[in-house]
This record gives sequence, C-alpha cells and structure tokens, in this order.
Amino acid sequence: MSGPRNAEERLARLLVMLPWLMEVGEVPLADVAARYDLSEAEVQKDLELVAMCGLPPFVDEMIDVFVDDGLVFVGVPRLFTRPLRLTAPEGFSLLASARAAMELPGADPDGPLGRGLLKLARALSDAGLDAADRSVDDTAGVAIDLHRPPATDAIADAAVIGAELAVTYFSPARDTTSQRLIVPRHVFVDAGNWYVVADDDRSGERRTFRIDRIDDLAATGRTDRSDEIIETPGAFFDDEDLPLATLRLAPQAQWILDRYPVRRRTPMTDPAGWVEAELPVASERWLARLLIRLGADAVVVSPADAGAGAAALASAILARY
Amino acid sequence: MAERRVDRVERLTNLLALLLETSQPLTMIEVCGELAGQYPDEERNRRAAFERDKAALRDLGVPIETESNLGQGTPATYRIDRRAYELSDLDLDADERRALQVAVAAVRTDASAGRNAIWKLGGSTAGEVGPVSAVLPDRPELPIIRAAVANRSTITFVYRDEQRLVDPWGLLLRGGFWYVVGHDHGRDAKRTFRIDRFGGSSDDIEVGPVGAFERPESFDPREAFPTDPKQIGHAVGDGLMAVVRIDDERAPAVEREVGSDRVIDRHADGSIDVQVAASNIDAFRSWVIGLLDHAVVISPPQVRSAIMDWLAAVSARSAS
Repeated sequence: MSGPRNAEERLARLLVMLPWLMEVGEVPLADVAARYDLSEAEVQKDLELVAMCGLPPFVDEMIDVFVDDGLVFVGVPRLFTRPLRLTAPEGFSLLASARAAMELPGADPDGPLGRGLLKLARALSDAGLDAADRSVDDTAGVAIDLHRPPATDAIADAAVIGAELAVTYFSPARDTTSQRLIVPRHVFVDAGNWYVVADDDRSGERRTFRIDRIDDLAATGRTDRSDEIIETPGAFFDDEDLPLATLRLAPQAQWILDRYPVRRRTPMTDPAGWVEAELPVASERWLARLLIRLGADAVVVSPADAGAGAAALASAILARY
Repeated sequence: MAERRVDRVERLTNLLALLLETSQPLTMIEVCGELAGQYPDEERNRRAAFERDKAALRDLGVPIETESNLGQGTPATYRIDRRAYELSDLDLDADERRALQVAVAAVRTDASAGRNAIWKLGGSTAGEVGPVSAVLPDRPELPIIRAAVANRSTITFVYRDEQRLVDPWGLLLRGGFWYVVGHDHGRDAKRTFRIDRFGGSSDDIEVGPVGAFERPESFDPREAFPTDPKQIGHAVGDGLMAVVRIDDERAPAVEREVGSDRVIDRHADGSIDVQVAASNIDAFRSWVIGLLDHAVVISPPQVRSAIMDWLAAVSARSAS
C-alpha cells in the first residue's frame, strides 16, 4: 500500500471498484481491500464518501453502497455500472504484458492468452486507440524478444515443484566457478538477462543467480516445496552496503549508465560530453574488468587504487598472448 | 452562499456524474449551479477549480467533449458521451481474462497501467504471482508509437540532435531496451532507434495522418537487426570474423552463448576455438575482454594486435 493518495488516484480506484461491486452485490471488506491493493480503512472511507455523492434531485441516492460489519453491500445500480474505457497507456501495457507472457517458459500462444489478446486488439481498435479501418488483429507491430538460455526451462520447472538442483556456477565478481546445491524459487528476466532466485545451500541464504552462468545442471531428486510468494527482487544488484566508485566517462563509455545501477551522475563541462558517475562496485575484480573494457574512455576518480588493479589485470591477460 | 467544505473526490464524482447524465451540454455556470456550494463563489477561483477538475478527469481518460463558439461570445459547453466513456465489452471468456491477468501479474513495469487495465476488465492481479516473471522497461513514448504503428502514421522526433521523419513499422523490446524500426525519410533507408534515446519528452513526438504508408509485407521487428551486437553494421555472415580460444573453465558457457556451430576446434585440455563476428570492433573487444584471461584472440592478426594494444595501453596508463 502506497502512502497518502491524492483525489485523482482515489477516484480512479473507485471507478474500477464500483462496477465490480455492483456485479457481486455483497462482499467482505477485506476482499475488496486485497483486490484493489488498499487498506480496509481506505476502502471504507472512499465508499462512504461516494455514497454521499449525488445530484439534485437525487442527492445521497445516486450510488447505493454501504459498509456494515465488515461487509460491503451495493444496491440498485444507477451510475458507474460500466468501467471507464481503457486509456492508451493501459491498452499498450496490457498488450506488451500479454506478448511478454507469451515469451515466458511454459506459455501457450494458442491458448486463452492468445485469444484474449486478439479480443483486446479488436476492442482497442473500436475505442479509436488503433486503426479504425482494420477489423483484424494488428498486434504484430509489437515484438518482445526475451531470448533465454537453454537451462531456463528446466530451472523454471524446478521452481514450480521446489526441486533441488546441483549446479556449477561461474561468478564474474570473483572470477571463479563453484559447485552448489540450489532450490529455485522464482525465475525472471530483466534487462535482457535471465535470473533465478534460489535457496542456496552453500551460503545458507536466498541468492539471485544469472542463468547463463549456470553450467552442468542436474536434479538431485530431493524437493522442498514452498508456498511462499516470491517476487522479482527490486534492484537486486544494487546493494546499499556495496562500496562505490566514481568514474569520469567519455560519451563512448556512457553505455554503462544504462547497464549498471548508477547512484549519481553529473554532466561535465570539461571535457564537454563527459559525465562523472558514481556506481556500486560488486568487487575489485569486477571494477578492474570494467575499466579494462572501457580503456581510455574512463578515468578513475576513486577509489585511488582501482587504476592499478585494472593495470595488473590487463597485464595478466596480456601474459596469455 | 457560503462555501461548504467538500472532499475533492466527492466534487469530482459529482462533476463526472453530472456530465454523464446531462441531456444537453452544460456551461461552467450551469455546472456550478447544479453542484451548488461545491465550487468557490469568487469567479476566478471558481474558474481555476473547474479547470483543474476537468483536467483531472481527462487525465484519467474521461472523454469530456467541449463545444465552444469563441467568436460568438457564448461560453463553452461540456458533456460526456456515455458510449465513449464506457469500456466496450471485450467479450472475454473467463479463461481469457484469467490469462491476461496472470500475464500482467507476471510482468513488472514502473507504471501501474497494466494493473489498472485488469481492474477495468473486472479482474485483479492480487495473488497471481507465479514462478516466472519479466521486468519490462516502461517509456511514455510507447503508447504513442504503438498507435502510430497500428494507424500507419508517420512520426517526427529528435534523435542524436537531429529531426527524424520515420514511418514506424514496428516496436521491439530486446536486451532490456525498446526500439522502433521503420523507414527513415531523411536517410531513405530502414533504421532502428532506441526509444530511451529520443530527444525531448513524449509530447514532442509529432504524429501524422492515418494510413500514410504501407508496412512491408512479412515485416518482423525481430529480424530488423542482429541479436548479437558484434554483428551490428553488417549483414549476418558477411563481415570480419575472428577466432578466439576459450579456456576449459568458460568453454561450456561460451559455447552455449555463441552456439555449437561456431566451435571450430576442440582441444585436449578442454579449451575450444570459436569463430565470432568482429565487424563491430568495439562490441567485439568488450565481449572478449569481458572474458578476462579465459579468452585469447588467435586470428586475424589485425584484430589480435588491436586487442593487445588496448590491453597494453590500460596496463601502461594506470601504472604511470
């Protein structure tokens, strides 16, 4: 639940809540709150308010709704029986989500999702949000490419039943491989990379692993089911405890601002086009690797020894040639 | 009449109800008369409050129609067409609605638009979190460009400080970024633009009339540019190729990444030689150096020496 809500947000929520309430007629307050991501007090307050709305000569009679003993009752509907039409961003979001869902492991494009998407596209067209001269589906103009490593499907299957897997994992932060036992809990894709949130036997903690760095995966035969709902971790790679590095970046090096979480960025006037950026550092080795990739397009401000670390690593690579 | 203290949600709800119910368009004076005591008495404050409410309803997507005859000196009138206001019936079967709500629950964006849409369709995403999900970046330009793609409207926007006129053929999400692919009038060629690099705000995108172009038949945004950035700038298979030796530790992962058909040699110690595109030397260098001392460029000589020079420069620069 999110902080204080403004009038627009409260009205928007009421306009989706009322048609549904009119359809169900009578429902526990707690169910309404859970369904619309509000507290029970918020739902009660807004429903009591809207019950007082009305126009002469029907003051107080326009919306017949009341809350009693933890139940919401709705009488004969007069107004707001149908939800407001979809806005363009809502239509797009639905379309993009449905197309993305079709790219996820286990999706069936010929199933109900595909049919629902077709009906949606037609409705958007009817609403004037799309071409009016097309009666057919035109969702082809939006493509979502969530190309996944081959191991993803097996890991997603394991997450469904809580199957334990023995894996070999490569960690670029330490540049080492390790053998571990993991129980996958949730698989997700973010910024083009696939990850698994898993209970990790080695650390005894829940960790996030990149799936393309998992080798040699095998089921151990043990399972550990969990009914816990595990969602995508927010900004999982940006840990508050990580040390920070400050770098000055030429325009050619500024792609890293898109790739990595950046705490602060300041455009520079000298040299023009450069920016100074502060970013969390997973490990010294990770920073050294980044600096070698950027070469002369990045200048280290801090930590002072990062440049020497990059030089040593560059020499080590060169020694292989 | 003294102003009654009215919760703004109540006033907005009443305004919405009035404009939906009215049989003929109403002026602001008539609206304030019907909603007696809810708007300020003083004319300027009343006008400001009314305009603010009208904008708030429009932001929610309420289609308020305005009729104004400015030249005649008559005030503008307002109403809402109920058919335009109401969601048209999608006629979704229960399993289709469920599938859409599972899809929205499985996809996280920065915006709440998808969740709102599911609520309007009578569903809810609460408790629908499954074992697999996706995070999609959200951009305010997307609904505008999506409509332009569907309507075949030419769009104008600023890209790399330059005004572009483009027939948008399709939108593509790849590698965490949204791209629009289409015909660039200025270049008279197919081009791809990253949407988060558009200049200005989404309001600066100009959308032309409907039906301005035909999209090439069998166009698929996924084939518009190579998945592998090392190949950008060249047709697939036509360009500079490099041979890179990968040590035993990283060999399995690299083979999965580039595909087994790219492995040209397998050595007794577990290392492999792979052939990869090096046309885009910046992307190639970033990739090969990202593998640190697990990868060594074998050939061709100019690529090998370019990588060695780069490493030597980093080694020398920082040591000084």
